Amino acid sequence: MTRKLLELAGIGKERLHLAWVSSAEAQRFVEVATSVIESIKMQGPLDRIAHEMSLSACEMTLDSETLRWLVGKEVKITSQGDIYGRQWSVESYESFLDHTLEREYQKNLIYLAIDQGCSSVKDISERIGLDLKRISYLLADLEKTGRIEFRGMEDRKPVFAVL
Amino acid sequence: MTDYEPKIIAFLCNWCAYAGADLAGVSRLQYPANLRTVRVMCSGRVDPVFIIKALREGSDGVLVSG
Repeated sequence: MTRKLLELAGIGKERLHLAWVSSAEAQRFVEVATSVIESIKMQGPLDRIAHEMSLSACEMTLDSETLRWLVGKEVKITSQGDIYGRQWSVESYESFLDHTLEREYQKNLIYLAIDQGCSSVKDISERIGLDLKRISYLLADLEKTGRIEFRGMEDRKPVFAVL
Repeated sequence: MTDYEPKIIAFLCNWCAYAGADLAGVSRLQYPANLRTVRVMCSGRVDPVFIIKALREGSDGVLVSG
C-alpha cells in the first residue's frame, strides 16, 4: 500500500524495496543489497524539495485512522463479512482500499494547498493539478469532517480556510 | 551518474536480515556501503510513516527486509 501511495504521489514505487532474507543467507543479503543500490542509483537522487508537499500528504494519509482501520479489518471483513452481514471478496475489498487511498491522499493534498494560501477551487487546482470537479467534491468531504471551512464569497468565488 | 552515491535506509529485522547482514560481514562478503542500517526487532515494527520520514529526511530509497 505504501508503494501504491508513492506511485500515486509521483515519487515512484521503485524507491521502496521489500525483501525477505533469512539469517543464514549472507550471500542472498549481499545480492539484495547490491540490486537495491543499483536500482536506486539508476533513479538518481530524490528531489525532496519538489516532493515536499506530496511527501507530507503521504505521511498524513498513512497516519490516518480511516486507512489504518481498513487495513486492520481486512482479514476479518473478507472472511466473516462486515457488520451489515455483507460478504466482501478480497479483490473488491482491495479495490475499495485503493479508492480510499487515492481519495484520502487527494484530500490531504487539497488540505495542504489551502494551508499554503490557495483559497479558491481554481487556485487549488493550479497548485496540485486535480480537476475542478474532483476538488469541489472532495472539499465538501473535508468540510463535513471539520478539517476546513467555507469562509464566504470573494469576487463571486467561494473561499476556504483550514481549521 | 557514475559518481553518484545514493543514501538508502535499510530497516532490518533483528532475527532475519540483520543476522544475514552480520553473517555477510563475518564471512567477508563485499557489498556497496550505501545502506544505512536501522535494526528493528521485527520487520512488522516498521510503520509506513517511518518510510515516508526516511525519504523526507534525506534518503534516496528505503529497503525493508525481514
